[in-house]
Amino acid sequence: MNQSIKRTMAIFQKDYKDFTKNLYVSSMIFLPLFLAAFYGRMGVQSLDMVFMVFNLTLTVIAAFTQSALIAEEKEKNTLRGLMLSPAGTGEILIGKSLVSFLISAIVLIFSAFLIGYQPENALLIVAALFVSILFYLGIGTLLGLITRSVMEASVAILPVLLFFSFSSFAVQLSDEYPILKVAEYLPNSQLVDLGYAVQNGAGFGDGWAALLIITAWTIGVSALVVAVYQKKMVDK
Amino acid sequence: MIKIINAEKSSSDSVVFPPFSMEIKVRETAAIHSSLNVRSVLMDIFSGGMSLSSGSIEISGNKLASDFKNYNGKLSVMFLEEGLYERLTVKEQITFWKKLHLSSRTSDEILRLVQLEHLKKKRISSLTFSEKRRVHFARLLLENKPVLILEEPDQNVDLETRRVIKKVTEALKEEGKSILLLTGNMESALFMTEHVHRLDEKGLHRLDVELEEDESSGEEIPEREDHGVSQPVQIEKIPAKINEKIILFNPPEIDFVESSEGQSNLSVQGEVYPCTFTLNDLEKRLVPFGFFRCHRSYIVNLQKVREVVTWTRNSYSLVLEGTDRTTIPLSKLKMAELKEMLGLK
Repeated sequence: MNQSIKRTMAIFQKDYKDFTKNLYVSSMIFLPLFLAAFYGRMGVQSLDMVFMVFNLTLTVIAAFTQSALIAEEKEKNTLRGLMLSPAGTGEILIGKSLVSFLISAIVLIFSAFLIGYQPENALLIVAALFVSILFYLGIGTLLGLITRSVMEASVAILPVLLFFSFSSFAVQLSDEYPILKVAEYLPNSQLVDLGYAVQNGAGFGDGWAALLIITAWTIGVSALVVAVYQKKMVDK
Repeated sequence: MIKIINAEKSSSDSVVFPPFSMEIKVRETAAIHSSLNVRSVLMDIFSGGMSLSSGSIEISGNKLASDFKNYNGKLSVMFLEEGLYERLTVKEQITFWKKLHLSSRTSDEILRLVQLEHLKKKRISSLTFSEKRRVHFARLLLENKPVLILEEPDQNVDLETRRVIKKVTEALKEEGKSILLLTGNMESALFMTEHVHRLDEKGLHRLDVELEEDESSGEEIPEREDHGVSQPVQIEKIPAKINEKIILFNPPEIDFVESSEGQSNLSVQGEVYPCTFTLNDLEKRLVPFGFFRCHRSYIVNLQKVREVVTWTRNSYSLVLEGTDRTTIPLSKLKMAELKEMLGLK
């Protein structure tokens, strides 16, 4: 193993141990699981519901967990120690994202199982969810970096949570208010669109546009995260 | 090795510190005694959070301004307010640092050095302030960088921790590190380091601790005996001046006298009063009342001393009575003298 991977893994292991003892954050994983089980038992099979649970999982687990982990490092003065350590920007950001990434992935799989969702083209959906997790991790990291404490981050995440969980419904109103057409290009709406397309038998050939848009969002957010991180490193 | 060349900082039209230069070689320890503002500005500059107005800082040949990556790779910084992962145990925290810094030392060795073996399974959030401080020192040992900058390392810690800190810094020095201490406490500076400097708006002044001590020690003993004989008990008050008022103290009230930059300060029940006499004059007046010149810059009231602490073979402190357990440096030469006075030898 080279040094860079060793350092990244050190941060990951530390975060994993910390996360298991952090009830404030770890208890959050039950919210989407509960919703998924609830809708699954109710027999609601509308794709809108399935993807609302997915989008909620992504915001609550990926974005919220990540922002809380980063904000806590800032609040407890430990981020400075990491920044001054030999670990580079990439090593720290990846190491700090691994725990949230794994937990999001696990919760998504369980929610899909509990709600009884079986897509026609599982590979395409998995790819779209994978990129979406990265996007929401980016949003979470960004929020964690610009807020000063876990409390602030928890408040700042609320509008984000509402926005990304429910803006896919705004698309339905776009006939009445044309301006809402913009919402179609948000990563969460694209994910829902892709879900419908897959149900109607779409393959990679048809789904790539949606995948590309989500990827573009992810790259944009990641670039922003690196820029903000570098700036924080200079003025602390 | 750390080299500071004509470093200067001013902010919003006021001078924080004028240009000063200093150098700390390999296996050397030095302290900069300064006000809180100067200290925190210096810490920000050293850690790269703020830049100098002019001048430069080099760590083992790497410039702060132009080569921060290599500069930072040679430097360990310890702030007064350092963070720890409160939910981890001591052992987990140390293992994390060990992996992050790719250290070859074992965590058991580190735990032994900072005397935390018995606490290794405890969560960091349940440790006392002093024990947390020892965890921070574990990081310095694991980082293993040639230059260390410490901000108030032994502020508010208990005696046992102080002993550990002193031992660890001595060990680091023996390994060939250069250590710079930033503090507002003269006693801490004298206790921890060999060379003490004072930095204020007038510049950097070096206090020649060891040198003058050796010179003056020869003449003091006969002097004291002189006074002891020729001045029998007499009523003598020690004047201190505050604003326009002159306050007179009875010598037994005074806990100790500290001198900084030629100004002697009387310490009475935790309050500090500037006194117009020099330390040498005060010594002549106070010795008949059971005072003792325990260090070049200190006179202590022996009636108030509760404990004599031996940190290492030639480093000692006096601990005073009272709840805050103030410590005062006791120099090597004076230790022998004190033992003699107490009839221990």
